Amino acid sequence: MNQQLIVSVGREFGSGGHEIAACLADRLNLKLYDHNLLDEIAHEQELDSAVLHRYDEKPRRLFLSRNENGYSSSAEVSVACLQFEYLKRKAEDGESFVVVGRCAETVLQQFPGLVSFFIVGDPEIKCARIRNLYHLTEKEALHKMQRHDQYRKKYHNYFCADRWGDSRTYDLCVNSSRLGIEGTADLLETYIRNKRKIQGTADTASREELP
Amino acid sequence: MISQILAVVIFLAMFALIISEKLERHYITLGCGALMLILVFGFCMKSMDAVINTLSIHSLFQPGFWYTGNAASEGSTGINWETILFIAGMMIMVEGLGKAGFFRWLCLQLAGMVHYRPVPIFLTFMIMSAFLSMFIDSITVILFLSAVTVELCHLLHCNPVPMILSEIFCANLGGSATMCGDPPNIIIGTSLGLTFGDFLSNTGVMAGVSLIVTVVYFYLCFHKELAASGKTATSAEHYPDPAEAITDRKEFLSSTAVFAIAVILLVTHAITGLTVSSIGVLIAVLTLLIQHRHAKELLRKVDYKTLLFFIGLFVVVSGLEQTGVLKIIASFISKASGSNTMLMAAIILWISAVASAFIDNIPFAATMLPVIKSLSAVQGADLSMLAWTLSMGTDIGGSATPIGASANVVGISVSSREGHPIGWGAYCKYSAPATILVVAISMICIYIRYF
Repeated sequence: MNQQLIVSVGREFGSGGHEIAACLADRLNLKLYDHNLLDEIAHEQELDSAVLHRYDEKPRRLFLSRNENGYSSSAEVSVACLQFEYLKRKAEDGESFVVVGRCAETVLQQFPGLVSFFIVGDPEIKCARIRNLYHLTEKEALHKMQRHDQYRKKYHNYFCADRWGDSRTYDLCVNSSRLGIEGTADLLETYIRNKRKIQGTADTASREELP
Repeated sequence: MISQILAVVIFLAMFALIISEKLERHYITLGCGALMLILVFGFCMKSMDAVINTLSIHSLFQPGFWYTGNAASEGSTGINWETILFIAGMMIMVEGLGKAGFFRWLCLQLAGMVHYRPVPIFLTFMIMSAFLSMFIDSITVILFLSAVTVELCHLLHCNPVPMILSEIFCANLGGSATMCGDPPNIIIGTSLGLTFGDFLSNTGVMAGVSLIVTVVYFYLCFHKELAASGKTATSAEHYPDPAEAITDRKEFLSSTAVFAIAVILLVTHAITGLTVSSIGVLIAVLTLLIQHRHAKELLRKVDYKTLLFFIGLFVVVSGLEQTGVLKIIASFISKASGSNTMLMAAIILWISAVASAFIDNIPFAATMLPVIKSLSAVQGADLSMLAWTLSMGTDIGGSATPIGASANVVGISVSSREGHPIGWGAYCKYSAPATILVVAISMICIYIRYF
């Protein structure tokens, strides 16, 4: 693929969004950015990645943080901004990649190569998946799912004008419980390839129209 | 009674909205101020005099507003235009200084003087932070200082967090030493007719003693960590040259001269009779004349939002004052202290400190000011002693938590943006005990000196 391709995957907790993103990265031969983004930043800038991970994808705590003329006391906000800037820099350098979460559908929206997805799932199936992955009881899994989704929603909605999971924000919102992880990845891969084909045709046509 | 309830509701709504950060804070105070004028003064009190007193436009045309002729004059109630003009003037001067490269030059010069060794940099930057904050707002001091600290620490391969934490604390401490160091002091000073010298010889002494203890405290906390990291330092040729910080030599020298003039005018204003409002206007005009090429830019960069925030805030507090709510609070404190002025001072000091650790100290100080006036009038307590108590409580209390003061927010943000996040735990572990220590020292100083 010659043109830049950035695949952003937002996800509900337990929906398998991360696994789908990893699958897409593998199939499209692209680098996957998730929490490893902070390791890269830490390595590049000689920082302590463990400290950065403490604030990864966490929402700003309302009564425990304060803003002052564009400066925020929230470590969560600053770590998020570090990641946004890093992603933008990568995109500006022309790199193609798959990114999980981190408001990428909004942060990178000015890049024409962006394709954005949001993965949802049926609560029972998500719950069962979380139980298996983390060896939890049903009650614990449900609680964990609700807590993480709440965090992600707050985190996203603090930085983005569009709401988390709002279908108008993404290219496609898919329920992974219908087709399974592989099936959903197949669907998304087909979508990406078709979209790229149409984009490629449009680009060729517009180039031919030029005097 | 209805006017009092309404005034309290508007005031509490203002505080809640400021904390929620749903709207910019100047919109909140201006909106609440407008409600106070219309609903409380207009509909409930039907008092045009209250509106006129609150807007306080007439004060601008009184000679005492610009020149006191060696006699201390107390500011009127309502909008404290003296504070607004002084802060605006300082903003222009500080913007000019920053543009000329003064702060970066000073930081690098000091780092060079101590041969870029982490522990001496740590100690000198703490003292510089306190000293600069005596004359310049602590936000600006921390903004420049923390940026240079992160840059130097990167070169020295050491963690900037200990340095930034101690610089923030010292900036807040330095701000408490003078009348122009921290907005609560400007409000207290202009409202009670206190001078720069009054502050320096009272809160300044307390801040001085506290600074010695603070430097020792932070040294004991961090010297091992810093000394260990400095052993892997970068070679000398990679250190930044202070001269590179100066963008224009002529503007640099003239801006520094204006700063020196501002310091002299502030230190001598009780002798010259110039009020802080006239000093603010004077230094702003001087800066704009010297940097006339950038005058538009300097004026554009004035933080009008903060000035509007102050205007709205003064109106809301005036609503509480004129409806008698603050007298009720004063009588409550008076009853709680049982007319014991020592206990009263302790209550004001610790309540101010605790409140300022969690809420903006500017609205708190503006609200408490009429309360201490009332306490002094009713109980016969020394008003200036209560003023120093309020000043130390509000200025120092803000250091305890990451959200207590604007300088904390800016310092933490600069550090975090560079990849060194400072959470509540890391911040409070060192700064909360230091705050308790300094408030305790202040209380002892107040007891020894005024009782």
